[in-house]
Amino acid sequence: MTDVTLQDVRKEFDGVVAVKNIDLQIPDGAFVTVVGPSGCGKSTTLRLIAGLEQATEGTIQMGDQEVTGVEPKDRDVAMVFQNYALYPHMTVRRNITFGMKSAGDFSDEEIDRQVEEATAVLDIDDLLDRKPGELSGGERQRVALGRALVRDPEVFLMDEPLSNLDAKLRIKMRAELAKLHSEFETTTIYVTHDQTEAMTLGDRVVVMNDGRIQQVDSPQRLYDYPETRFVAEFIGDPAMNMLSVDISRDGTEYEAVGPSFRIPLPEADGLETAAGAKALLGVRPESLSVADSADRSSFPAEVTVTEPLGDSLLLECRTGDQEFKLHAEPRTAVEPGDRVPLTVETERLHLFDPQTGEAIYHAAAAQSPEVTSTVDSTI
Amino acid sequence: MSTREVFTDRLQAGVLLLPTMVVSMVFLYYPTVRAVGLSFYRASLARGDVFVGLENYRRLAGSSEYLRSVLISVLFAACVVVGVMAVALCISFLIHEINVGKGVYLVAVIWPYALPPAVAGLVFLFIAHPNIGIFTSYIEALGVDVNWFSNGPQAFVVVLIAAVWKQVGYNVIFMTAALGNVPESLTETAELDGVSRTQRLLRVYVPIISPTLVFLVIMNTIYGFFRTFPMVDLMTKGGPAGATNILIYDLYRTAFQFYEFGFASAKSVVLFIAVGLLMYGQFRLSDKYAYYGG
Repeated sequence: MTDVTLQDVRKEFDGVVAVKNIDLQIPDGAFVTVVGPSGCGKSTTLRLIAGLEQATEGTIQMGDQEVTGVEPKDRDVAMVFQNYALYPHMTVRRNITFGMKSAGDFSDEEIDRQVEEATAVLDIDDLLDRKPGELSGGERQRVALGRALVRDPEVFLMDEPLSNLDAKLRIKMRAELAKLHSEFETTTIYVTHDQTEAMTLGDRVVVMNDGRIQQVDSPQRLYDYPETRFVAEFIGDPAMNMLSVDISRDGTEYEAVGPSFRIPLPEADGLETAAGAKALLGVRPESLSVADSADRSSFPAEVTVTEPLGDSLLLECRTGDQEFKLHAEPRTAVEPGDRVPLTVETERLHLFDPQTGEAIYHAAAAQSPEVTSTVDSTI
Repeated sequence: MSTREVFTDRLQAGVLLLPTMVVSMVFLYYPTVRAVGLSFYRASLARGDVFVGLENYRRLAGSSEYLRSVLISVLFAACVVVGVMAVALCISFLIHEINVGKGVYLVAVIWPYALPPAVAGLVFLFIAHPNIGIFTSYIEALGVDVNWFSNGPQAFVVVLIAAVWKQVGYNVIFMTAALGNVPESLTETAELDGVSRTQRLLRVYVPIISPTLVFLVIMNTIYGFFRTFPMVDLMTKGGPAGATNILIYDLYRTAFQFYEFGFASAKSVVLFIAVGLLMYGQFRLSDKYAYYGG
């Protein structure tokens, strides 16, 4: 186990910048997930840590040792790939032991013991003499995990390990991964494009976009206090609604003013700077609800699409030229074309700068004290 | 296999197959049947054919010169197959490993294969000619007396090198393509695990590309037995003293220098059967060892 530190790391491929000078600290024993859309540089970051790519600039440290130019094999990391990367012609046992035997750092007894242990944990001890072709996707992924486990590495690197599994198996393996980590407590860096995986698995979630780290935080804080518009819209499904508003001030009262609504903003940091300017009002779909009757605190909107999800009714609405989604109570009697009054949970509002996309204000910040993050990042 | 009938009309199917069938008949099956038939005759252009039964085969079995030719052929083909594949595998691996100038190396290696066999033979003759060869003086500087026009083993080696040199390119094409299909993540896993380069080649790549290697063993066997004819013809004419007298060259001389068509046919039948059996053996072996996925 060790901590991993990336300092000002940049990676270019033939002039295309994949990773733009990121700083990241991963504490010893943490489970950090890196999430972002395709091409955001998350896999490249992982490969840089593995040593499969060399950084164009910057340094990577593991523990006290700088590993920037060090060969992958000397970094003591184990990687699990999306396509499992099992040697197709070898049995499961041979797949697991091949690397250990080749590296020559382990005695035969040690290897046997490690294999026994790892395969028992992963429940694949009855598959040892089969070849990967005879295994199901889930079994293959367990074998790939087993191969990584037996080496007892300092750092586990996982590149979308569950993406090739079907939805049900993915959820099962997700829970198993979490269990494995709590058992072994090896520093783990887990890359995924699936925000659910990122949120459920990570102690800390790194959100990346366009080669930059957008935010590093615990899953809940990421959801409650997104630092940029990108994070706000990327985390959460359906995405946070963005409505362009003017911020008006009346004494100590602030309001977000849209074409057909005036929403009061609870007092919190950032409001003063926002006052009198345009901003993007971020509202999560579950913070909006259909009111029983129109009154002063509600505003009208037209329903354009209804999507019954069972546990809730997803409504697409329009007010003026702005569209947004909301989770209404299931079995609410609304039809497309209806005009309904809506209310907002004002404690869950956010404001973003329309130009830079940076967060100006979180209504919830008024209620909760600032939690300091143990993972530092610089954007 | 699909049992679906593409053509409902048998006539239409027949017509479409006809050109291929005619060509195969005229140039493959008919000559094969004719050669087998001829092998039972003493055939000559001047005196017509006389049926002699198994006389030609009896003559072959009793001919020490022919048996020597069989030995030389088998040895030659074996050396060609092993030599070509060992060299080609090394070169393919190196080309696979480097990132810069892949194309240039590939072209350089494939070049000899692109030459017509006769031209390749001539080129190599001038490279290694005992008196005027370009490389000869360098090799003699190492203390080797280059005189393969009279030294049998030397002649064998020179023709072998020429044959390998000519065929390596063909193998490299297939091997680099096969190596290119090995998933990148396997290479990376091996790198992360600290598997050495040679281990990676022999324990990971070779088993995975084994179907291609089996195909190449077959093609190289055919090449070793049949297609090396122009090199022998141009460089040694089977000599000195029969040291490079491989079966296909021996057969050619019997037919077109001594005009013993019946005897030559018997030789060709024997060669055909021998190579056929050899390939059958290779296929059986490959089923056991080659990895075909699954």
